[in-house]
Amino acid sequence: MRRARVCAEASATMTSMPVEREKLEADVLIVGAGPAGLACALRLSQLIEQNSAGGKTPAISAENIYVLEKARELGAHQLSGAIMDPCALRELVPDFEKSAPLDTPVTGDAAYFLSETGSWKLPITPPPLQNHGNYVVSLNRLTKWLGGLVEKAGVNIFTQFAGASLIYEGKGIAGVITEDKGVDKNGKPKDNFTPGYELRSKITVLAEGPRGSLTKNLVNQLHLDGLNPQVYGIGIKELWDVQPGRIETGYVAHTLGWPLDSHKYGGGWIYGLRDNRVSLGMVMGLEYKDSLFDPHEAFQKFKTHPFVRKILEGGKLVRYGAKTVPYGGWYSMPQSCVDGGLIVGDSASLLNSQRLKGIHTAIKSGMLAAEAIYEAMATGDASAKALNAYQNKLEASWVKKELWEVRNFHQGFHDGLWPGLFNAGLQFVSGGRGLTDPARCRPGYQDFRRLERPRELTDQSTRFKGDGTLTFNRLTDVYHSGTRHEEDQPCHLVVSDTSICADRCIREYGNPCQYYCPAAVYEMVLEGGQPKLKINASNCVHCKTCDIADPYQIVNWVPPEGGGGPNYEGM
Amino acid sequence: MKILLITEQRDRKWNKVSFEALAAAQQIATQANGTVSGVVIGQGVATLADELATYELTEVLLVENALLEKYTPDGFSIALKQVIEQAKPDLVIFPHTYQVRDFAPKLAASISKGMIGDCVGYRNEGGKLIFVRQMFQGRTAADVVFQGDGPWIASFQAGAFRADTAAKKQGGKAPVKPASVELKAEQVRTKPLELFREAKQAVDLTQAPVLVSIGRGIRAPENIPLAEKLAKALGAELSASRPICDEGWLPMERQIGSSGQTVSPKLYLALGISGAIQHVVGMKGSRCIVAINKDQNAPIFEIADYGVVGDLFEIVPALTEEIEKSKPA
Repeated sequence: MRRARVCAEASATMTSMPVEREKLEADVLIVGAGPAGLACALRLSQLIEQNSAGGKTPAISAENIYVLEKARELGAHQLSGAIMDPCALRELVPDFEKSAPLDTPVTGDAAYFLSETGSWKLPITPPPLQNHGNYVVSLNRLTKWLGGLVEKAGVNIFTQFAGASLIYEGKGIAGVITEDKGVDKNGKPKDNFTPGYELRSKITVLAEGPRGSLTKNLVNQLHLDGLNPQVYGIGIKELWDVQPGRIETGYVAHTLGWPLDSHKYGGGWIYGLRDNRVSLGMVMGLEYKDSLFDPHEAFQKFKTHPFVRKILEGGKLVRYGAKTVPYGGWYSMPQSCVDGGLIVGDSASLLNSQRLKGIHTAIKSGMLAAEAIYEAMATGDASAKALNAYQNKLEASWVKKELWEVRNFHQGFHDGLWPGLFNAGLQFVSGGRGLTDPARCRPGYQDFRRLERPRELTDQSTRFKGDGTLTFNRLTDVYHSGTRHEEDQPCHLVVSDTSICADRCIREYGNPCQYYCPAAVYEMVLEGGQPKLKINASNCVHCKTCDIADPYQIVNWVPPEGGGGPNYEGM
Repeated sequence: MKILLITEQRDRKWNKVSFEALAAAQQIATQANGTVSGVVIGQGVATLADELATYELTEVLLVENALLEKYTPDGFSIALKQVIEQAKPDLVIFPHTYQVRDFAPKLAASISKGMIGDCVGYRNEGGKLIFVRQMFQGRTAADVVFQGDGPWIASFQAGAFRADTAAKKQGGKAPVKPASVELKAEQVRTKPLELFREAKQAVDLTQAPVLVSIGRGIRAPENIPLAEKLAKALGAELSASRPICDEGWLPMERQIGSSGQTVSPKLYLALGISGAIQHVVGMKGSRCIVAINKDQNAPIFEIADYGVVGDLFEIVPALTEEIEKSKPA
């Protein structure tokens, strides 16, 4: 057990408060132990070390840096393909190749266009998909390793604790309140009730990944939207153990085309890992017209393509997961510095959607945030103005350069694959400018076409069931995500007005929540002959798709009791 | 430093954690050149006070009143407030019991002082007392200090100190002094009833040789008696898949599956259960599985030893009737 040098002060409170929270004070509080958050913590500890080695008194101590992580253990909610460009990790941990769990270097790559039965290898792999010098990694394992370094440096990482709400102060933030534990499904305290902590912090770093619940709140409250709203894709992944000899270790293939039609943005991947393990999945833009499109089903169909089937046949599903991907790029980046707060990584829209990579930019943004934070702590100024050093550092770094070149990439695909490829080509020769710069976009849910159907449940009996060997239904896949939640707790998918589901959405869009959710959380049922929304919250894999794709924007994803959620071991 | 140690008894029997708190109080006092007075509160507890007096204490205060016979938060906090005002301690120490959790914050508020509850240790740093509490589910320990003047109130977690380290008085006994408190019946607003212990989980599904398990096919809570009748006829326990417990139609302890219990009875009757893998992992070890479901493609039939494709609302009553008939009169 680590000792936090915290002097909370006990004093009598005569005011009657509904819940008295314990208070803790930190210098730096990082919400989310992913690549960005952990890189921030590690870089801070390095700066502390460098300063004390140089004979200076460090501006902060590692003990006063806290990291919150909602997962049961480090890495359990980390999901990515994942191919990592090691440039940022090399800056953070120069000898990372000695100890980091890198599955395999990329040994060969190819891009394919698929039709229902055929596959065409592109004569050259497009430059953004060339992966020479990159590594195929398990983000779960990489995160565990990185977290180990952070803990070794003396930083407190609190797994199983989520940031439930932000503490707003003045024009900025002053910390978070962690979630209450031991509350039953009706919101009543149980025997083990423990109120969330009031974690006050001089600087709070939001590193929540895509569609962070606190980040969403902050961006809305303080109007921090970028030029464009954020747009997202959903990534669905399975990990398989296959028969020996089916795919070369380090071989990576990306696909376009089937099962997606040319109006849908997205594609597939198949990566050969060590020990006959295969990572495969699809990423699909959450901006399509057909509200009854089922991304999970599309991915299952993808596996039946001869090109994929011949690799998987005779193999076994090991794990399943789903997570959203922020596609928006530079123009969707929110204002990332406020008084006492910073936003990093995917939460700050720093993913390169053209290269399908965000781990390196996340790590780099965490490092740059750490440098800005250290300076701010040294001068005792944590205002937005002081913290803006982070934004300046980002703009002066290769992150801006890389993202600037693809600033219009995703927007170019709004009208489909072919115009998109044409735009991408134009952007490639014009340094990212393309036809329109800045190219605008709108939230994907606005693309849903109205169905105007009767007020009847959409038939679920014909939904994709899978064959149980190569393809699976959603519940079976959810089982393989290792998702577990305390059952007796308030529903963490807060739908503000379920009458919209039962009266309007049913007619206007056919309740797309039943289709886009890759974990079968949402169901429309009949109760006393009347349609009603039923939420199976314990299936949730924390991908945030519902919060993003709901056409009425009435779904609010909030963190469930800490420790709940998927277990992406090895993913 | 003057320390007041409040012990806990019920029906004239010690709560043993009292002696752990005593050990803590003695250790703090030794380091701070202080004294410890013990307090026994209740009615007819003089023998306990005598027993406490055999420990290394300056004195034992015996707080007795007919209204303190049974514990009430009002009675105990009003009485102890007076004891504190008379004895003027710097520090009041409690064992962190359920009862203390119930009234000690009220007592602290009534004397406008802070309380540090559930401590696992303390340190004396140059005369300054620092209390240690666990936070973040034991992942970290926080140092907590009192602000302002005493009397301060602290409670120690069970197991934080060893009761057998509480020092006995070397020769003789500590004096037992009655402490008079004024308590009026109307001040005690709660009326204690019979003490009871919440019944343990009534059912242990893992021990049941036969389970009748219901799923969504049962459709409404009104239909559950149908399955109950069958269970009764078979001498079986009733269990369910997650949706049933999620709806609150059956209590959660009757849930079978990955987020419920894992069972392997001799006979498992699955009524209207589709057989999602989450449920199957909890019952696939059953010796014999009989499934009734109207959907012939339901995955439950893949693991069932006997499958009936049909309407459970027709089959279950008929089955119950047949079983009843076959029983020896």
